[in-house]
Amino acid sequence: MENKIQMPKMSPSMEAGVLVAWNKELEEPVREGEVLFEVETDKVVCEIEAPCDGVLAEMCYSEGDRVKVGETVAVIQER
Amino acid sequence: MEKIKVAYNQKSVDQMAAIMAQLNLNTVCREANCPNMGECYKKKTATFMIMGSQCTRNCRFCNVINGRPQNLDPNEPENLAQAVEKLNLSHVVVTSVTRDDLPDGGAAHFAKVIEAIKRRNPDVTVEVLIPDMKGDPASLDMVIAAKPEVINHNIETVADLYEQVRPEADYRRSLDVLAYVKRTAPDILTKTGIMVGLGETYQQVLQVMDDARDCGCDIFTVGQYLQPSEAHVSLKEYISQETFDAYEKAGYEKGFRYVASGPLVRSSYRAQEALVNEKESALHRK
Repeated sequence: MENKIQMPKMSPSMEAGVLVAWNKELEEPVREGEVLFEVETDKVVCEIEAPCDGVLAEMCYSEGDRVKVGETVAVIQER
Repeated sequence: MEKIKVAYNQKSVDQMAAIMAQLNLNTVCREANCPNMGECYKKKTATFMIMGSQCTRNCRFCNVINGRPQNLDPNEPENLAQAVEKLNLSHVVVTSVTRDDLPDGGAAHFAKVIEAIKRRNPDVTVEVLIPDMKGDPASLDMVIAAKPEVINHNIETVADLYEQVRPEADYRRSLDVLAYVKRTAPDILTKTGIMVGLGETYQQVLQVMDDARDCGCDIFTVGQYLQPSEAHVSLKEYISQETFDAYEKAGYEKGFRYVASGPLVRSSYRAQEALVNEKESALHRK
Protein backbone atom coordinates (compact mmCIF):
# COMPACT_ATOMS: atom_id res chain seq x y z
CA MET A 1 0.00 0.00 0.00
CA GLU A 2 1.13 3.53 -0.77
CA ASN A 3 1.34 6.05 2.05
CA LYS A 4 1.51 9.67 0.91
CA ILE A 5 3.20 12.14 3.26
CA GLN A 6 1.96 15.67 2.83
CA MET A 7 3.37 19.03 3.83
CA PRO A 8 1.94 19.38 7.34
CA LYS A 9 0.08 22.46 8.51
CA MET A 10 2.05 23.11 11.66
CA SER A 11 0.20 26.24 12.74
CA PRO A 12 -3.14 27.79 11.82
CA SER A 13 -1.42 30.53 9.82
CA MET A 14 1.02 28.28 7.92
CA GLU A 15 0.48 28.19 4.16
CA ALA A 16 3.70 26.62 2.93
CA GLY A 17 7.01 25.28 4.19
CA VAL A 18 10.46 25.00 2.69
CA LEU A 19 11.79 21.49 2.17
CA VAL A 20 15.33 22.01 3.43
CA ALA A 21 16.69 18.45 3.43
CA TRP A 22 15.98 14.88 2.50
CA ASN A 23 17.25 12.41 5.10
CA LYS A 24 16.57 9.33 2.97
CA GLU A 25 17.31 8.37 -0.63
CA LEU A 26 14.96 7.01 -3.29
CA GLU A 27 14.31 3.27 -2.84
CA GLU A 28 15.88 3.37 0.62
CA PRO A 29 14.09 1.36 3.34
CA VAL A 30 12.58 3.48 6.14
CA ARG A 31 11.25 2.59 9.54
CA GLU A 32 8.35 4.26 11.32
CA GLY A 33 9.61 7.21 13.36
CA GLU A 34 12.78 7.75 11.31
CA VAL A 35 13.31 11.24 9.94
CA LEU A 36 12.27 11.38 6.31
CA PHE A 37 12.78 15.04 5.47
CA GLU A 38 13.16 18.45 7.11
CA VAL A 39 10.85 21.42 6.72
CA GLU A 40 11.68 24.98 7.66
CA THR A 41 8.86 27.06 9.10
CA ASP A 42 9.05 30.62 10.38
CA LYS A 43 10.01 29.41 13.83
CA VAL A 44 12.00 26.20 13.51
CA VAL A 45 13.18 23.33 11.33
CA CYS A 46 10.90 20.31 11.78
CA GLU A 47 12.18 16.79 11.27
CA ILE A 48 9.24 14.98 9.69
CA GLU A 49 9.06 11.39 10.86
CA ALA A 50 7.97 8.46 8.67
CA PRO A 51 4.47 7.27 9.63
CA CYS A 52 5.14 3.61 8.72
CA ASP A 53 7.76 1.04 7.72
CA GLY A 54 8.45 0.71 3.99
CA VAL A 55 10.53 1.97 1.10
CA LEU A 56 10.79 5.58 -0.03
CA ALA A 57 9.09 5.24 -3.41
CA GLU A 58 8.71 8.87 -4.51
CA MET A 59 10.39 12.17 -3.69
CA CYS A 60 8.05 14.79 -5.11
CA TYR A 61 10.15 17.89 -4.41
CA SER A 62 13.80 18.89 -4.25
CA GLU A 63 15.72 20.47 -1.42
CA GLY A 64 15.06 24.21 -1.39
CA ASP A 65 11.53 23.93 -2.81
CA ARG A 66 8.71 25.84 -1.17
CA VAL A 67 5.81 23.40 -0.80
CA LYS A 68 2.18 24.32 -0.13
CA VAL A 69 0.44 22.80 2.89
CA GLY A 70 -1.32 19.58 1.87
CA GLU A 71 0.85 18.84 -1.19
CA THR A 72 2.38 15.36 -1.25
CA VAL A 73 6.09 15.52 -0.49
CA ALA A 74 6.94 11.82 -0.29
CA VAL A 75 5.38 8.45 -0.98
CA ILE A 76 6.29 5.40 1.05
CA GLN A 77 5.51 1.95 -0.30
CA GLU A 78 4.39 0.23 2.89
CA ARG A 79 5.44 -3.25 3.84
CA MET B 1 21.16 32.45 12.28
CA GLU B 2 20.49 28.73 12.17
CA LYS B 3 17.07 27.62 13.32
CA ILE B 4 16.48 25.07 16.06
CA LYS B 5 15.54 21.52 14.93
CA VAL B 6 12.56 19.72 16.42
CA ALA B 7 10.80 16.41 15.77
CA TYR B 8 7.37 16.29 14.13
CA ASN B 9 5.16 13.23 14.04
CA GLN B 10 1.99 13.65 12.01
CA LYS B 11 0.25 10.63 13.51
CA SER B 12 0.52 11.97 17.07
CA VAL B 13 -0.60 15.41 15.94
CA ASP B 14 -3.63 13.95 14.14
CA GLN B 15 -4.60 11.85 17.16
CA MET B 16 -4.47 14.86 19.48
CA ALA B 17 -6.31 17.05 16.96
CA ALA B 18 -9.12 14.47 16.73
CA ILE B 19 -9.62 14.45 20.50
CA MET B 20 -9.62 18.25 20.66
CA ALA B 21 -12.04 18.62 17.74
CA GLN B 22 -14.42 16.06 19.18
CA LEU B 23 -14.60 17.95 22.47
CA ASN B 24 -14.49 21.40 20.91
CA LEU B 25 -11.25 22.33 22.69
CA ASN B 26 -8.20 24.37 21.71
CA THR B 27 -4.55 23.87 22.57
CA VAL B 28 -1.99 26.62 22.82
CA CYS B 29 0.44 24.10 21.35
CA ARG B 30 -1.22 24.46 17.98
CA GLU B 31 -2.38 28.07 18.15
CA ALA B 32 1.11 29.23 19.09
CA ASN B 33 2.87 26.79 16.74
CA CYS B 34 4.89 25.47 19.66
CA PRO B 35 8.20 23.84 18.74
CA ASN B 36 7.63 21.09 21.31
CA MET B 37 4.30 19.96 19.90
CA GLY B 38 5.84 16.87 18.28
CA GLU B 39 7.47 15.73 21.51
CA CYS B 40 4.57 16.52 23.83
CA TYR B 41 1.85 15.05 21.59
CA LYS B 42 3.87 11.87 21.20
CA LYS B 43 3.85 11.64 25.00
CA LYS B 44 0.12 12.40 24.95
CA THR B 45 0.34 15.69 26.78
CA ALA B 46 -0.99 19.07 25.69
CA THR B 47 -1.69 22.50 27.12
CA PHE B 48 -5.31 23.50 26.84
CA MET B 49 -6.26 27.03 25.84
CA ILE B 50 -9.68 28.01 27.08
CA MET B 51 -12.17 30.78 26.28
CA GLY B 52 -11.71 30.60 22.52
CA SER B 53 -8.84 31.09 20.10
CA GLN B 54 -9.19 34.87 19.61
CA CYS B 55 -7.28 37.13 21.98
CA THR B 56 -8.29 40.68 22.91
CA ARG B 57 -4.65 41.78 23.13
CA ASN B 58 -2.08 41.99 20.40
CA CYS B 59 1.27 41.19 21.98
CA ARG B 60 4.08 41.44 19.47
CA PHE B 61 5.69 38.08 20.29
CA CYS B 62 2.60 35.89 20.28
CA ASN B 63 1.17 33.79 17.46
CA VAL B 64 -2.33 33.59 18.93
CA ILE B 65 -4.75 35.54 16.76
CA ASN B 66 -5.98 38.93 17.92
CA GLY B 67 -9.64 39.30 17.12
CA ARG B 68 -13.21 39.52 18.31
CA PRO B 69 -13.57 37.15 21.24
CA GLN B 70 -16.03 34.26 21.06
CA ASN B 71 -18.84 33.55 23.52
CA LEU B 72 -17.77 31.32 26.38
CA ASP B 73 -18.65 27.66 25.84
CA PRO B 74 -20.55 26.52 28.94
CA ASN B 75 -19.57 22.91 28.15
CA GLU B 76 -15.87 23.69 28.03
CA PRO B 77 -15.09 22.86 31.69
CA GLU B 78 -16.73 19.44 31.44
CA ASN B 79 -15.27 18.73 27.99
CA LEU B 80 -11.81 19.61 29.20
CA ALA B 81 -12.21 17.38 32.24
CA GLN B 82 -13.16 14.57 29.85
CA ALA B 83 -10.11 15.17 27.67
CA VAL B 84 -7.90 14.95 30.76
CA GLU B 85 -9.46 11.59 31.53
CA LYS B 86 -9.13 10.37 27.94
CA LEU B 87 -5.49 11.35 27.72
CA ASN B 88 -4.88 9.90 31.16
CA LEU B 89 -3.00 13.01 32.25
CA SER B 90 -1.66 13.26 35.77
CA HIS B 91 -0.82 16.96 35.50
CA VAL B 92 -2.81 19.44 33.43
CA VAL B 93 -1.77 22.86 32.24
CA VAL B 94 -4.58 25.23 31.31
CA THR B 95 -4.04 28.63 29.79
CA SER B 96 -6.29 31.07 27.98
CA VAL B 97 -6.45 33.95 25.63
CA THR B 98 -6.67 37.33 27.36
CA ARG B 99 -10.30 38.35 27.76
CA ASP B 100 -10.31 42.05 28.55
CA ASP B 101 -13.91 42.10 27.29
CA LEU B 102 -15.15 40.07 30.27
CA PRO B 103 -15.66 41.98 33.53
CA ASP B 104 -13.83 39.28 35.52
CA GLY B 105 -11.19 38.65 32.83
CA GLY B 106 -12.47 35.07 32.57
CA ALA B 107 -11.72 34.21 36.21
CA ALA B 108 -15.03 32.48 36.87
CA HIS B 109 -14.59 30.32 33.79
CA PHE B 110 -11.06 29.42 34.88
CA ALA B 111 -12.44 28.39 38.27
CA LYS B 112 -15.13 26.23 36.66
CA VAL B 113 -12.52 24.48 34.53
CA ILE B 114 -10.27 23.76 37.53
CA GLU B 115 -13.23 22.44 39.54
CA ALA B 116 -14.50 20.27 36.70
CA ILE B 117 -11.06 18.71 36.16
CA LYS B 118 -10.68 17.92 39.86
CA ARG B 119 -14.20 16.57 40.21
CA ARG B 120 -13.71 14.09 37.40
CA ASN B 121 -10.01 13.38 38.03
CA PRO B 122 -9.44 13.74 41.79
CA ASP B 123 -5.74 12.81 41.69
CA VAL B 124 -4.80 15.15 38.89
CA THR B 125 -2.75 18.25 39.67
CA VAL B 126 -3.71 21.46 37.89
CA GLU B 127 -1.53 24.31 36.74
CA VAL B 128 -3.11 27.45 35.34
CA LEU B 129 -1.26 29.98 33.25
CA ILE B 130 -3.42 33.07 33.61
CA PRO B 131 -3.52 36.48 31.96
CA ASP B 132 -3.10 39.47 34.28
CA MET B 133 -6.90 39.87 34.65
CA LYS B 134 -6.06 43.57 34.88
CA GLY B 135 -4.63 42.81 38.32
CA ASP B 136 -8.13 42.74 39.82
CA PRO B 137 -7.99 41.03 43.25
CA ALA B 138 -11.64 39.89 43.00
CA SER B 139 -10.84 38.01 39.78
CA LEU B 140 -7.66 36.51 41.16
CA ASP B 141 -9.57 35.42 44.29
CA MET B 142 -11.92 33.34 42.13
CA VAL B 143 -9.03 31.46 40.56
CA ILE B 144 -7.31 30.99 43.92
CA ALA B 145 -10.51 29.66 45.50
CA ALA B 146 -10.62 26.83 42.95
CA LYS B 147 -7.31 25.63 44.42
CA PRO B 148 -5.06 24.84 41.50
CA GLU B 149 -1.67 23.48 42.60
CA VAL B 150 0.24 26.03 40.53
CA ILE B 151 -0.65 29.54 39.36
CA ASN B 152 1.59 30.83 36.62
CA HIS B 153 1.60 34.30 35.21
CA ASN B 154 4.34 35.06 32.74
CA ILE B 155 6.37 38.27 32.96
CA GLU B 156 7.47 37.38 29.38
CA THR B 157 10.35 39.85 29.05
CA VAL B 158 12.50 42.38 30.91
CA ALA B 159 10.94 45.67 32.02
CA ASP B 160 12.71 47.79 29.40
CA LEU B 161 11.29 45.77 26.50
CA TYR B 162 7.62 45.93 27.53
CA GLU B 163 6.79 48.73 25.13
CA GLN B 164 8.10 46.74 22.16
CA VAL B 165 6.95 43.27 23.22
CA ARG B 166 3.85 43.61 25.45
CA PRO B 167 2.53 47.12 24.82
CA GLU B 168 -0.84 46.45 26.44
CA ALA B 169 0.62 44.94 29.59
CA ASP B 170 2.47 46.40 32.54
CA TYR B 171 5.59 44.96 34.16
CA ARG B 172 4.61 46.06 37.66
CA ARG B 173 1.06 44.81 37.30
CA SER B 174 2.28 41.37 36.29
CA LEU B 175 4.56 41.27 39.32
CA ASP B 176 1.66 42.37 41.50
CA VAL B 177 -0.41 39.41 40.23
CA LEU B 178 2.30 37.02 41.44
CA ALA B 179 2.67 38.84 44.75
CA TYR B 180 -1.08 38.87 45.39
CA VAL B 181 -1.45 35.13 44.77
CA LYS B 182 1.43 34.27 47.11
CA ARG B 183 0.18 36.63 49.81
CA THR B 184 -3.38 35.31 49.61
CA ALA B 185 -2.62 31.62 49.21
CA PRO B 186 0.93 30.77 50.32
CA ASP B 187 0.33 27.05 49.65
CA ILE B 188 -0.24 27.55 45.94
CA LEU B 189 3.02 27.42 44.01
CA THR B 190 3.58 30.54 41.92
CA LYS B 191 5.45 30.47 38.68
CA THR B 192 6.62 32.88 36.04
CA GLY B 193 8.78 32.85 32.96
CA ILE B 194 10.46 34.93 30.32
CA MET B 195 11.58 34.62 26.74
CA VAL B 196 15.16 35.54 25.87
CA GLY B 197 16.77 36.50 22.59
CA LEU B 198 14.77 39.72 22.26
CA GLY B 199 17.80 41.92 22.91
CA GLU B 200 17.73 41.88 26.71
CA THR B 201 20.97 41.86 28.70
CA TYR B 202 22.10 39.23 31.20
CA GLN B 203 21.77 41.73 34.03
CA GLN B 204 18.22 42.62 33.02
CA VAL B 205 17.26 38.94 33.22
CA LEU B 206 18.74 38.70 36.71
CA GLN B 207 16.72 41.78 37.65
CA VAL B 208 13.49 40.03 36.58
CA MET B 209 14.50 37.09 38.78
CA ASP B 210 15.08 39.42 41.74
CA ASP B 211 11.74 41.14 41.18
CA ALA B 212 9.93 37.79 40.94
CA ARG B 213 11.63 36.52 44.09
CA ASP B 214 10.54 39.71 45.89
CA CYS B 215 6.99 38.59 45.08
CA GLY B 216 7.69 35.18 46.61
CA CYS B 217 7.65 33.43 43.25
CA ASP B 218 8.57 29.72 43.48
CA ILE B 219 9.26 28.57 39.92
CA PHE B 220 11.05 30.35 37.09
CA THR B 221 11.36 29.41 33.41
CA VAL B 222 13.61 30.82 30.70
CA GLY B 223 13.27 29.90 27.04
CA GLN B 224 14.41 31.05 23.63
CA TYR B 225 12.05 33.43 21.80
CA LEU B 226 11.20 32.15 18.33
CA GLN B 227 9.71 34.62 15.90
CA PRO B 228 6.34 33.36 14.59
CA SER B 229 6.45 35.50 11.42
CA GLU B 230 8.08 38.56 9.92
CA ALA B 231 5.27 40.70 11.32
CA HIS B 232 6.24 39.82 14.88
CA VAL B 233 8.88 41.44 17.07
CA SER B 234 12.35 40.56 15.76
CA LEU B 235 14.46 37.78 17.12
CA LYS B 236 17.77 39.41 18.06
CA GLU B 237 19.86 36.37 18.92
CA TYR B 238 19.94 32.69 19.78
CA ILE B 239 21.10 32.43 23.37
CA SER B 240 23.88 29.90 24.00
CA GLN B 241 23.42 26.82 26.17
CA GLU B 242 26.11 28.19 28.51
CA THR B 243 24.03 31.30 29.14
CA PHE B 244 20.89 29.22 29.73
CA ASP B 245 22.89 27.15 32.23
CA ALA B 246 24.10 30.33 33.91
CA TYR B 247 20.49 31.57 34.23
CA GLU B 248 19.50 28.29 35.80
CA LYS B 249 22.31 28.46 38.33
CA ALA B 250 21.55 32.09 39.13
CA GLY B 251 17.86 31.26 39.58
CA TYR B 252 18.59 28.59 42.17
CA GLU B 253 21.03 30.90 43.96
CA LYS B 254 18.29 33.49 44.21
CA GLY B 255 16.06 30.98 45.95
CA PHE B 256 13.61 29.69 43.36
CA ARG B 257 12.46 26.19 44.24
CA TYR B 258 12.60 25.10 40.63
CA VAL B 259 14.19 26.64 37.55
CA ALA B 260 13.92 25.45 33.96
CA SER B 261 16.20 27.20 31.50
CA GLY B 262 16.95 26.10 27.96
CA PRO B 263 16.28 26.95 24.32
CA LEU B 264 13.06 24.93 24.08
CA VAL B 265 11.78 25.53 27.59
CA ARG B 266 8.24 26.90 27.53
CA SER B 267 6.22 27.64 30.62
CA SER B 268 4.26 24.42 30.25
CA TYR B 269 7.07 22.24 28.87
CA ARG B 270 7.60 19.28 31.23
CA ALA B 271 5.69 21.33 33.79
CA GLN B 272 5.07 18.33 35.98
CA GLU B 273 8.77 18.03 36.78
CA ALA B 274 8.60 21.17 38.90
CA LEU B 275 5.78 19.72 40.95
CA VAL B 276 7.33 16.28 41.36
CA ASN B 277 10.54 17.97 42.40
CA GLU B 278 8.61 20.07 44.89
CA LYS B 279 6.84 17.06 46.40
CA GLU B 280 10.15 15.23 46.80
CA SER B 281 11.83 18.13 48.54
CA ALA B 282 8.78 18.54 50.78
CA LEU B 283 9.19 14.90 51.80
CA HIS B 284 12.87 15.47 52.54
CA ARG B 285 12.02 18.48 54.68
CA LYS B 286 9.66 16.40 56.84
